[in-house]
Amino acid sequence: MRSRDGNHSFTLRLCTIIILSSFALNAGEYLISYKYIVKNDVLFNESLDISKSMKKCRGIPAQTLILPANEQNNFVKLISHHRQEFIDYIHQLGLDIRSKDTTTNNQINSTTIITLKTTCFKVDFNDNFVKISHLKQP
Amino acid sequence: MKYSLILISLLYMTACAAQEKKAVPEVPVNKAETIAVPNNTTINVTYKDEKKSKMCPAKTQHPMTKQKKDVLSIHEPLIISVVGQGVAPVNTTSPAQAYALAKRAATADAYRLIAEKVKGVSVDGQDLIKNMMVKRSTVRTSVQAMVRNANIVETTFKDGLCEVEMEITLSHSDFAQ
Repeated sequence: MRSRDGNHSFTLRLCTIIILSSFALNAGEYLISYKYIVKNDVLFNESLDISKSMKKCRGIPAQTLILPANEQNNFVKLISHHRQEFIDYIHQLGLDIRSKDTTTNNQINSTTIITLKTTCFKVDFNDNFVKISHLKQP
Repeated sequence: MKYSLILISLLYMTACAAQEKKAVPEVPVNKAETIAVPNNTTINVTYKDEKKSKMCPAKTQHPMTKQKKDVLSIHEPLIISVVGQGVAPVNTTSPAQAYALAKRAATADAYRLIAEKVKGVSVDGQDLIKNMMVKRSTVRTSVQAMVRNANIVETTFKDGLCEVEMEITLSHSDFAQ
């Protein structure tokens, strides 16, 4: 069976569509925010929030982290397994720092809040590895 | 009429010249504003290190500003190194957890130190004086910044104290707009 333009067969076109859609299904976009609070040089609170993006993110993939893939292609589980590596990667992207020290009658109270604002990441699941890319706003 | 105008302008110029000569060796005087209330007093101190001249605004320069030089040169990057300290919480389940938490606290401290060095600190002070005695003295410092590409060079953990040595390289292109 020949297509209307006469160059590509119908089977080839169908295979291309299936392959491309399978690639698209394996790639996902996630919104991640991270925050930790240090009070008087002791870690007070730490939170890492991960959520699948409900709409397409805009941006160019910038810095990339490659992690070994797990069996289920579950991003949250993957991050929980490689938490420290992912947090080190987040630190490289740039974090917002807010620090307040109050000294009252020579007694100091310090609070430092470090935040990564909600950022979109593109995640590509492959056979052996997962590629996480930070989407930089154009 | 013409002569009087010329005379006035000459007098003004000589007065300016005399004031410039005075202004150069003069060290700026710190001003302190104090409000005294008999029973309960709050003192806010504001220091002003610039003395403005109303008559001759030009050519009156602070002695320190003459030696002002760019900290960051175009060809040479600036490396800032700090050591942040953090302590593990008391209720930890294992030494590994204590290390991880202390390291996180030390990293935050190092980030704060970098922000303080690069961006500066805003300082605010307040003294409460009651019956001629200092009741409360408060100093508040704060810093807010965004730090990117800071690297941890070395981490040490000893006796519950974690120290993180952090480095950041600043180049002229990072700030050029």
